Amino acid sequence: MSYSIQSIAKALCASVCALVLASCGVSKVVIEGSYPTPNVAKLPLTLAVVYDEPLRSFSYIEYSETGAEEFNIASGESHVALFDAVLPAMFQSVVQVASLEDAEALGVDAIFVPAIDEFQLALPYKTKLDVYEVWIRYNLRFLTGDGAPIADWVLTSYGKTPTESMRTADSAINDAAVVALRDLASSFSLSFAQVPEVRDWLASR
Amino acid sequence: MKALLPLLVVLLASCTSTTVDEFRQGATGINSDESVVILGRRHSSDYETRAEFVDCVGERMTTGNDALSVIPEKQFVDAMFPWFEPRTAPLRTRDLERLMSEPVVADKMAEFGVRYMVWLDGFTETSGRTGTISCTVGPGGAGCFGFGSWEDDSTFDARVWDVASLQNVGTISTDATGQSYVPALVIPIPLIARVEANACIRLGDQLKQFVNGE
Repeated sequence: MSYSIQSIAKALCASVCALVLASCGVSKVVIEGSYPTPNVAKLPLTLAVVYDEPLRSFSYIEYSETGAEEFNIASGESHVALFDAVLPAMFQSVVQVASLEDAEALGVDAIFVPAIDEFQLALPYKTKLDVYEVWIRYNLRFLTGDGAPIADWVLTSYGKTPTESMRTADSAINDAAVVALRDLASSFSLSFAQVPEVRDWLASR
Repeated sequence: MKALLPLLVVLLASCTSTTVDEFRQGATGINSDESVVILGRRHSSDYETRAEFVDCVGERMTTGNDALSVIPEKQFVDAMFPWFEPRTAPLRTRDLERLMSEPVVADKMAEFGVRYMVWLDGFTETSGRTGTISCTVGPGGAGCFGFGSWEDDSTFDARVWDVASLQNVGTISTDATGQSYVPALVIPIPLIARVEANACIRLGDQLKQFVNGE
């Protein structure tokens, strides 16, 4: 088998071009973490939780200063994993359903519909701080078993992780997002029964 | 000249000075069935106490004479979730008192046998970067030439809370500074001052003595 100089040069050029393009492309970060079960008193309720498609497939794109896609952060599945760890510790029984209609048909005590409103990322080279930061704003809806609204409130969570010489940006973003998700779990589990409309509804039962 | 080189390396690499201050506010002592938990403060907006430093101090306290039983930070924080997260962790002893009134928290604390809770707060700052090192690669080989140096300053406070009396029993502060150098004559030779490592060793030893009531 023999190769001409031209074919070798072409292959080399193609490899270098592919490498350059790959290094300039968007970096995909899929948030992965483990979430502990909260130590809180269980509410004697049967809850249906609806993880809709926008939540499951949620991803955020961070753009560079030149407007190019820099990071694509997929956190939908991690949010589902987080709520799957938190809700069974807060409620007597939790069932996962695909839609509000399915939930209403089950005859549960209440329905919970979490949604992500906004995701923000702060990178050290933009903020000049030695930390990666993630903010997430949620819209949380709590409904009666037949779909009547009880409460609709906003919760924000925050996570940060310091820059380190041997840590990649992808890993630091993942860690900051996991801290933000833990922050969501802690505020949600501790403040849920204190939301005025939820508190009134619980008192009326 | 060859004989002087190791001496020079040792001298340059050991340019670290560490100061430890102890302020005792109450009597201490620990039984063999009791343990200590060391936690890092992470509520500040511009820095957070590194988990590696917290682990280092914990490991130091579990070794040598009068070694203590130390609960790893992650294990404790996960088991106590969500009560010791950055936003929910107690900042003062009266917050701990309120927290201990929660049956789930009190039960978990008793399960771990926690007698002392140590809060570490601090960071290492690098300043005074000077010098340049330039490296070149050519057909005949590669090499670097130049000199770089910087200063590291580690400042950490350890507040010790007695979980039995719900009181702050003392504070130990440590401040370590050191100059690092990287001379490059063909090959760069990093002479790194082990500033944070020294702060960890001194703080760990002092905390061990403090908790043991020495």
